[in-house]
Amino acid sequence: MKKVFLSLVLAFTVITLSAQSNNYEKAMTELVAQIEQVVPPSLHQPLSNKMERIAAVETEQWLPNYWIAFCYTADSFKKESPGERDQLLDIADEYMEKAMQLAGEKNSEIEVLKAQMASARMSIDPMSRFQEYGNIFQNALTSAMTYDPENPRAYYLQATNAYFTPENFGGGHAKAKPLFEMALEKFNNFKSESKMHPNWGFYESTYFLSEINK
Amino acid sequence: MEKLFLLILTALTIPAFSQSNLSGKVTDKKGEPLPFANISILGTYDGVSADIDGNFNFSTTEKGAQVLQISMIGYISKKENIDIQQADSIFEFKLTESINSLNAVVVTAGMFEASDEKKMVMLKPMDIVTTAGGGADIVSVMQLLPGANRVGETEGLFVRGGSANETKTVIDGMIVQNPFFSSTPDVPQRGRFNPFMFKGTAFSTGGYSAMYGQALSSVLLLNTQDKLGERSNLNLGVNMAGMTASYTHKGWITGTINYTNLSPLLNLVKTNIEWEKVPQGFGTSLSINENFDNNSSLKVFGSYTDISSALKLPTYDAENSSYIFNNSNKNTFTNASYRRAFQEGKWVMMSGLSFSNNQDNLLLGNTSANRNDKRTQARLVMSRLFGSNESSSFNFGAEYHDIKLRNQYDEFELEIDDKYSSVFAESEFYLSSKLAGRLGVRAEHSSVINDFNLAPRISLAYKTGKYAQFSLAAGSFYQNPDKEYLYINQDLGFERADHLILNYQIKKNQRTFRTEVFYKKYNNLVSEDSPVFDPNPYRFPTGETDNSGFGYAQGFDVFFRDEKSIKNGDFWLTYSYLDTERQFRNYTEAVVPHFATKHNFSAIYKQFLTPISTNVGVTLTHTSGRPVYTIGEDFKEVEQTKAFQNLSVSASHVKLIGNSFLVFYATLDNVLGRNNIFGYRFSPDGKERYAVRPPINRTFFFGINWIFGQLNGRSREADLNF
Repeated sequence: MKKVFLSLVLAFTVITLSAQSNNYEKAMTELVAQIEQVVPPSLHQPLSNKMERIAAVETEQWLPNYWIAFCYTADSFKKESPGERDQLLDIADEYMEKAMQLAGEKNSEIEVLKAQMASARMSIDPMSRFQEYGNIFQNALTSAMTYDPENPRAYYLQATNAYFTPENFGGGHAKAKPLFEMALEKFNNFKSESKMHPNWGFYESTYFLSEINK
Repeated sequence: MEKLFLLILTALTIPAFSQSNLSGKVTDKKGEPLPFANISILGTYDGVSADIDGNFNFSTTEKGAQVLQISMIGYISKKENIDIQQADSIFEFKLTESINSLNAVVVTAGMFEASDEKKMVMLKPMDIVTTAGGGADIVSVMQLLPGANRVGETEGLFVRGGSANETKTVIDGMIVQNPFFSSTPDVPQRGRFNPFMFKGTAFSTGGYSAMYGQALSSVLLLNTQDKLGERSNLNLGVNMAGMTASYTHKGWITGTINYTNLSPLLNLVKTNIEWEKVPQGFGTSLSINENFDNNSSLKVFGSYTDISSALKLPTYDAENSSYIFNNSNKNTFTNASYRRAFQEGKWVMMSGLSFSNNQDNLLLGNTSANRNDKRTQARLVMSRLFGSNESSSFNFGAEYHDIKLRNQYDEFELEIDDKYSSVFAESEFYLSSKLAGRLGVRAEHSSVINDFNLAPRISLAYKTGKYAQFSLAAGSFYQNPDKEYLYINQDLGFERADHLILNYQIKKNQRTFRTEVFYKKYNNLVSEDSPVFDPNPYRFPTGETDNSGFGYAQGFDVFFRDEKSIKNGDFWLTYSYLDTERQFRNYTEAVVPHFATKHNFSAIYKQFLTPISTNVGVTLTHTSGRPVYTIGEDFKEVEQTKAFQNLSVSASHVKLIGNSFLVFYATLDNVLGRNNIFGYRFSPDGKERYAVRPPINRTFFFGINWIFGQLNGRSREADLNF
């Protein structure tokens, strides 16, 4: 009898435990899908709030922190006031720091987001920030490609960077086109680790490419 | 057994089906709703975002004692212990605004904050180099700002009725002994430092912090760049005044060499000066910038320049004769600073060491004259952060200078040996995000005059709206008498100025409006007893001197900048009004100083033309006349020079060639060819007078910069030193 009871309790513990981690995966999968569907000018904020609640519980997971930083970075592009944009990126920095600690070194996705954040900072005041954040952007992108040469988002960022850089500064649509095509090729071969992992950039790439081909 | 099993099952499943409802509203202290506030039960996924009216409503299966957290961007998070009962709970939360860069009031009275890459402030290195008529010279551009007085025949910043000696240039907290190239009579000199060396340039129009001293009117605070990256690049430049090459290795060390020769420029344009030898020489500098793992950073800058020139100057006598003013200048400047943060940034230590040596070997006709200025200084500042968000700080520190000045003229030799020391303490504190204050005191001792002073400083700032604020600054400021007076009389005491400044500023949407009213009272100015007034500013004073001089300056200025209305355009308007009189130097009564002007106006417009990636700029300045004092002046009916006017245009264009960038830049000064006159010099008998004009009536300047190394991303012309 005792054995039955014990195994019962044990079984329950296992069930509740796996229920909890299932719960994490379930919540994350749902949330990440929602995050990827946000269309500007809608804010990512309600979703990052949710993500923050998950991050507060799942203190060992880097992904919730990654996604919070992602959301705040995305929202920063939607604000007009330079001060507000910096404020959102300050928060993104905080979560980025946590994500980096938890993910360990040499995570290509983290480097991509770092580059994206640097580019967000730069776009607030390109003339005077270019020196500082241009460097950070380039370094992060190089690391992203080194850690995972197949990460399509690194190529996507490289392409958008060329897209927004004036021709006289070595950018322009003609330069960006093969880069977007390369990114798309990488996207087609890319298999996301799970539905909680980053998988953005494909639609954006096709959008920019269609703009170039117009 | 089955019963037991059932019991366990029910015990485990029941909570899942019994939910409680939590609802309520989140507002700020005033009751304004806070949409998107994040409400969560700590340790669970349960929670919700507040809606547009700050209302929230969610269900949870949690029971009993829990902690509810309410957080919101820009507000202090709140944690509330709650007890979840079966019944629904309704809450009301009021959050307090945190003090952050977005909402915090800043003390702006007297401070024209010029650059800090994080804060959206008024002037950045790029703004300096793209200003037409500014010649990429920091001080020349500052002269276009409110509070500054444009004086054409000499270098320096003349602020609100103060002379150029009343402004000190400070790099990373250390006073720069010789911020300009060596002074030559009636030929204004450029500053020695490149605008891109600095991440921040703050120009004070008065009422500045107790951290700085020895300036009656103003300090120009320059903060050097932090380490920016790990890349290497080579930068070559050639223009009508010389060539330069600089190489940065992996972002931490930069070496520069330059060769100066004004021949191309002076051969091409008509000058008002006859050169016996055009200015030429070479310079070299080395800077090191490194961040260390223990939250510390080291910056070292060292430079050496050697420049010589000879020009024919009129003796202002009846025969129209001239003499040759020959100057060979050697300047060494070194500045090292070390910064370290302790206890997660709660304590910050900043220390600095600096040494400078400036040697002028002059030959005035056949007479040799030598000037030597040496200054060694050390400074240590400790800073303790406190308060909400650690927005407040308490700073204290000390500095020590060993100053040795020598002046030899023919067989006469004069010297000053000063040990200057000071201690200071200052607190900047926030009473709320709307109200901030700064209280400081500075004590100074100078051994050469054996005098001691205690200078209190106070500033307050109050935010009246989201974008508008008032700010007030007051304080006492002391400085040693000018060296010309100290050479012959070391019984003098400190000169003193008291400032009172009220400032109002609105900054919204990349538009800035700012106005300032000020009153400045001068006391203990050096006054010289001379039988006949001599207006020559370069004369060596020989009369009896004491500290009986006095005076005042009052007025207001208005500044408007718009970076928004015109796409890729930038427009500034500045107007300053100055009313000042003083009895000092050899003035026999309180009158308007010869360098002061009542009205200063400037309009600056810049436009970046994207299709041709060219930056164009226009600057218009108007400065009202200055008093003309004659020999033996009785100060009754004073003539005024005609107003100074200048219209300058500039353009710069960037081109990509292979992997390198070429930057072309050109400026044209005094487009309208106006004959500007800054004043007059008189023959010894006072009968003849000679106009003081700009060295070049209309300057055309052209140059190219070539940069090897990767540039990327959305930039325009940053990183292009010219």
